[in-house]
Amino acid sequence: MVEQGNLKNRLIELNMGPQHPSTHGVLRLKLTLDGETVKKVEPIIGYLHRNAEKICELDFYCDALIYFDRMDYVAAMNMEAGYLEAAEKLLGIEPPERVVWIRTIMAELSRIASHLVWAGAYGLDLGMLTPFFYVFEQREKILDLFTEISGSRQETNYMSIGGVYQDFNDKIVYLIREFLDQFPKKLEEVFNLFVKNDIFISRTKGIGILEPDVALQYGVTGPMLRASGVPYDVRKAQPYLAYDRVNFEVPISKRKDNYARVLVRFEEMRQSAKIIKQALDKLPDGPYFNPKAKKSLMVRLRGEGDFYARTESPKGEFGVYLVGDGTVKPYRVHVRSPAFKNLSVLPALAKDVLIADLVAISGTLDLVFGEVDR
Amino acid sequence: MVYEVKEEQSKDGRKVMRIDREHLLDLVKDLKADGYDSLSLISCVDFRDRIEVVYHLFNSKNEDILVVKTETRDSKVPSLTSLYESANWDEREQYDMMGVEFTGHPNLKRILLPEGWVGYPLRKDYDLSKTQYVNMDDEGEDRVSFDPGDGW
Repeated sequence: MVEQGNLKNRLIELNMGPQHPSTHGVLRLKLTLDGETVKKVEPIIGYLHRNAEKICELDFYCDALIYFDRMDYVAAMNMEAGYLEAAEKLLGIEPPERVVWIRTIMAELSRIASHLVWAGAYGLDLGMLTPFFYVFEQREKILDLFTEISGSRQETNYMSIGGVYQDFNDKIVYLIREFLDQFPKKLEEVFNLFVKNDIFISRTKGIGILEPDVALQYGVTGPMLRASGVPYDVRKAQPYLAYDRVNFEVPISKRKDNYARVLVRFEEMRQSAKIIKQALDKLPDGPYFNPKAKKSLMVRLRGEGDFYARTESPKGEFGVYLVGDGTVKPYRVHVRSPAFKNLSVLPALAKDVLIADLVAISGTLDLVFGEVDR
Repeated sequence: MVYEVKEEQSKDGRKVMRIDREHLLDLVKDLKADGYDSLSLISCVDFRDRIEVVYHLFNSKNEDILVVKTETRDSKVPSLTSLYESANWDEREQYDMMGVEFTGHPNLKRILLPEGWVGYPLRKDYDLSKTQYVNMDDEGEDRVSFDPGDGW
């Protein structure tokens, strides 16, 4: 028996996860608690590790794509676009103009899908079940579009070196437009479920404040960094695909707290819808793959030198460092995983907060463990 | 501090600085003062006789990327944890995968693989034919062994 008096000022170690429902996968947090206050957080990762980087080294350049699909599995299109950005530079294959626009559309649809999953899961973290159904209805519509064009819901494997698997036809363009027509209204409905809820506001406003200099120290990027007031977006800083030919704004917030990260992600979805609409209008005609990379030649592609491509995935700056040695297989593939960096800031972010707030904070990091553990 | 930097341009237009590892810390310290306030990525490439360590530094003002490259033949490189917080996890990841020892790191242990794993998977001489099994012992700690009966 422990007397109650002895519990005072005694620190308790507690494991949260790897099977805790609000840790979004297999995150294990080793907490040091003083009563209900978190004194120290130590994230322990690696439960989903399968060393995709090594597997990529053992296969042809074109085969690596399916492992990239499975990194950030809720935004597979962004992962494919990120890998191809580096691989096509290394192999010297230029994608045709039509492909560039198709990839932009798919990457933005994927970004919306990823943010929707985050919104639903974040609602669940805070005890709101309702938004989950609204966002998954919309996400399901996007996955139907992916099924229509690639044959697969999540792990699409749609893009390939120098092209895409299947050309856009009138039907898919019509379906995307139909989706965009109803999406903004539905998004506002979900947005109001969040920001007009008093409980939600009191659990997010002023909680989990991330100063911009701390964020940069830890290498935090994406919506997390923009919610701290740093307007860094790779789509603007170093435009890839067709982002320099469409109009969109990069939302930032100076609030720096959980609430800011929610606002930034919702605004990003609205901007993505704007980008897709413009891209559909500007979609040029032409071939949908580069003949230099047709299927029979795909396994003979070679490249030499080291290349780094950064792209804006829904989680942040997704970087691929690719080294080729002149053979048909990559010599080294290294992935800059944005969620890995965003998670590393959690010990600094969740110091001296309540356990319930820790859940509210870790929810805004938007962690996907396929990507953290690779 | 006087040090010699070899500057070059990579094929995709990034600015690359080559430096010997003795002066790495001085160079990065100066670059940080110049505005490179974030360390974006640490990668290691195993060239069998040497390991190349590649740092991608990020400048939040002009949103530029700068590459610093150094190499090591005995797998030892000074740690940048005193300059950038993000070096902590990045260096642990590279230690885990490549076996590069970052001298001066406060907590250099494996991050993705369990403690006790044999070998460094991303090295070119890593033996892929040997399977390693991870099990939990009575204390709740991970235990790695080559014996399948011991594992699953």
